[in-house]
Amino acid sequence: MYDTTRREGAVTQDDIKIQARKVQVFYGDKQALKDVDVDILDKTVTAFIGPSGCGKSTFLRCINRMNDTIPIARVEGEILLDNENVYDRRVDPVQLRAKVGMVFQKPNPFPKSIYDNVAYGPRIHGLARNRAELDGIVEGALRGAALWNEVKDRLTEPGTGLSGGQQQRLCIARAVATSPEVLLMDEPCSALDPIATAQVEDLIEELRTQFSVVIVTHSMQQAARVSQKTAFFHLGNLVEYGDTDDIFTKPKDSRTEAYISGRIG
Amino acid sequence: MTGIAFALLLTAALTGYMMNRRAALALRDGGQRLHSVGMFHGLYAVLAVVVPSVVVILLWLMLQAPVINAMVMSGLPAGTLDGLDSGARQLAQAEIQSIAGGRIFGSPESWKLDAAERLNSLRGLSGWLMVAVVALVVAAGLWLTRRSVAPQFRARQAVERIVLGLMIFCSVIAVFVTVGIVLSLVFESIRFFQMVPITEFLFGTRWEPQIPIRADQIAADGAFGWLPVLLGTLVITFVAIVISVPVGLMSAIYLNEFASPRFRAVAKPMLEILAGIPTVVYGFFAILTVAPAIRAWGAALGIPVAPNTALAAGGVMAIMLIPFISSFADDALSAVPRSLRDGSMALGATRSETMLKVLFPAAVPGIVGGVLLAISRAIGETMIVVMAAGLIAKMTINPLDSVTTVTVQIVTLLIGDTEFDSPKTLAAFALGLMLFILTLLINIVALRVVRKYRELYD
Ligand SMILES: Nc1ncnc2c1ncn2[C@@H]1O[C@H](COP(=O)(O)OP(=O)(O)OP(=O)(O)O)[C@@H](O)[C@H]1O
Ligand SMILES: [Mg+2]
Repeated sequence: MYDTTRREGAVTQDDIKIQARKVQVFYGDKQALKDVDVDILDKTVTAFIGPSGCGKSTFLRCINRMNDTIPIARVEGEILLDNENVYDRRVDPVQLRAKVGMVFQKPNPFPKSIYDNVAYGPRIHGLARNRAELDGIVEGALRGAALWNEVKDRLTEPGTGLSGGQQQRLCIARAVATSPEVLLMDEPCSALDPIATAQVEDLIEELRTQFSVVIVTHSMQQAARVSQKTAFFHLGNLVEYGDTDDIFTKPKDSRTEAYISGRIG
Repeated sequence: MTGIAFALLLTAALTGYMMNRRAALALRDGGQRLHSVGMFHGLYAVLAVVVPSVVVILLWLMLQAPVINAMVMSGLPAGTLDGLDSGARQLAQAEIQSIAGGRIFGSPESWKLDAAERLNSLRGLSGWLMVAVVALVVAAGLWLTRRSVAPQFRARQAVERIVLGLMIFCSVIAVFVTVGIVLSLVFESIRFFQMVPITEFLFGTRWEPQIPIRADQIAADGAFGWLPVLLGTLVITFVAIVISVPVGLMSAIYLNEFASPRFRAVAKPMLEILAGIPTVVYGFFAILTVAPAIRAWGAALGIPVAPNTALAAGGVMAIMLIPFISSFADDALSAVPRSLRDGSMALGATRSETMLKVLFPAAVPGIVGGVLLAISRAIGETMIVVMAAGLIAKMTINPLDSVTTVTVQIVTLLIGDTEFDSPKTLAAFALGLMLFILTLLINIVALRVVRKYRELYD
């Protein structure tokens, strides 16, 4: 259980949700991640930044084992979720993914109604005993994703008919509906306009109270706005990891400094 | 002669191209700014030479035979043809033509020999005349286009317009052929319906189109109610679809989502080979292997089974349709964006759940379209049923009974000695028209279904 008496800044073992130990990823012969060690905290937003192709998405996909769906990908090392290695043979990736939700760069609503999109996860995991309970879960998730007021009268319309920003929030609602413990977001705002981006950022702030959020972003400002912890990746290495304020004001590594000041990337 | 005409026009086209291009380039080298590059001036000459002369040659070839024949026949000594009916005249004309071709039987009358000689000389004349006319057209084309080469002349637009015209012409041909075929079906069917009332054809339940050898035989008129024939087609189609759709879909789903790349690399080409087998081969497979097997099973189980069962024909047709449906479904599944699959997997769905709840529904429009096209094909399929289905029309929906189909009846009505104005022959046209309307309707529905789902999903 969590230590409810913790103070800001004092990290205890209980606060750590995910521990990555010497994670290496290969695509065929090509190494995409080298010896990544990182502790991701519970109820915290962690931002991954770094130049394109440095392995941010790859690392994110390690956490919910979506790399398993890429035939040529091979993962080494350990990723502990609540002290259990997700790559352990006893862990079912399908159940893992119910606990670790994911939101993709491009909104990808299913060609189903808005309701069915959100109810998808709860249905396959049998989270609701009856229709009323399912309705409750759907409404809760849509409210959580700040979408309820916009769609409550059109739940039966196709999710693909929403605007890009609404679609992305629908995808967040869909991920939230399975009540995950960790939410992974891979550049969730890259296809959105500033207003929709602001809405999603507010949402992330909300979601942090319930679970741990990991967000990949190319926007330094966004990382600074939404995250408490930041990890900087470069060429498959985790170069620097620490409090977001520290990373952006007094980076220790010269590569981090060069990247955030816009000199590499 | 035709060879010479074509050689002439090719040389002229080449010359025109070189000439005009050179002229255009000369203008440019002289410091003028050309509107179109030299190549288009050249192509303009080519088109101006080729298009009209090809039209002339084709028209000439089409019209020369009737014109020459008419001239020969009217040039016969007065009174030769008097007292001959139209059949005898045609016979005389045919004989003249074969004499002209050098095939002389017996000793023909001298006026026939004269006429044959005239025919040959007219033909020779016509050939030379054609070459002369083509030469004239070609020369005119060359002269006109050569004159048109000028800096402001929009050769590119002119060429594009001509090419556009040619494309329109080609597509119009396709339309005209279709319309022509449909019209001929319609007119022959109308003639049929003048002999057999349309209500009897549409709603009659007896199909016995035998035409008597002697006038006093029974069934002298035959019965032309198409319902049993239609029913037979539907039974066989139903059997074929019921078997092929599940098998085709399952194999597509397996190949698309679950099979290892190695298995897929073997199975896909196999299915394509299956699609390439000629239907006549399926036909004797049905008649020699499947039908006896079904009979044997029926005998073992004590069920009466006809020798030509709808089950055998439909079952083999199903095998023919499996690759068709499978590849349609495979394409439709592959067209579903990967992001949807990832989205479903990331929510903790298994592969089967992802397939069942996301990929398959998203692929439904393509799959439905494929199935409807398969139904069209099954209805129109001829060879398998000609070999494996029965000939006698029966009002039955028992797949273990022998039934006949619309296509089989069309074939049997038209083989052998046929007169073009007996109801038996004309019935084939009426059946053909019905078949056409049926498949047209199915295809229209297929397109509408596909479009409706598209609207829902895009
Ligand atoms: N499916 C794959 N197959 C082969 N190589 C891949 C695959 N996915 C990623 N890679 C390689 O792994 C490296 C890291 O890719 P990754 O997608 O993790 O980068 P990223 O940091 O997310 O970049 P971006 O910011 O552009 O999204 C890249 O060199 C990429 O080419
Ligand atoms: Mg990425």
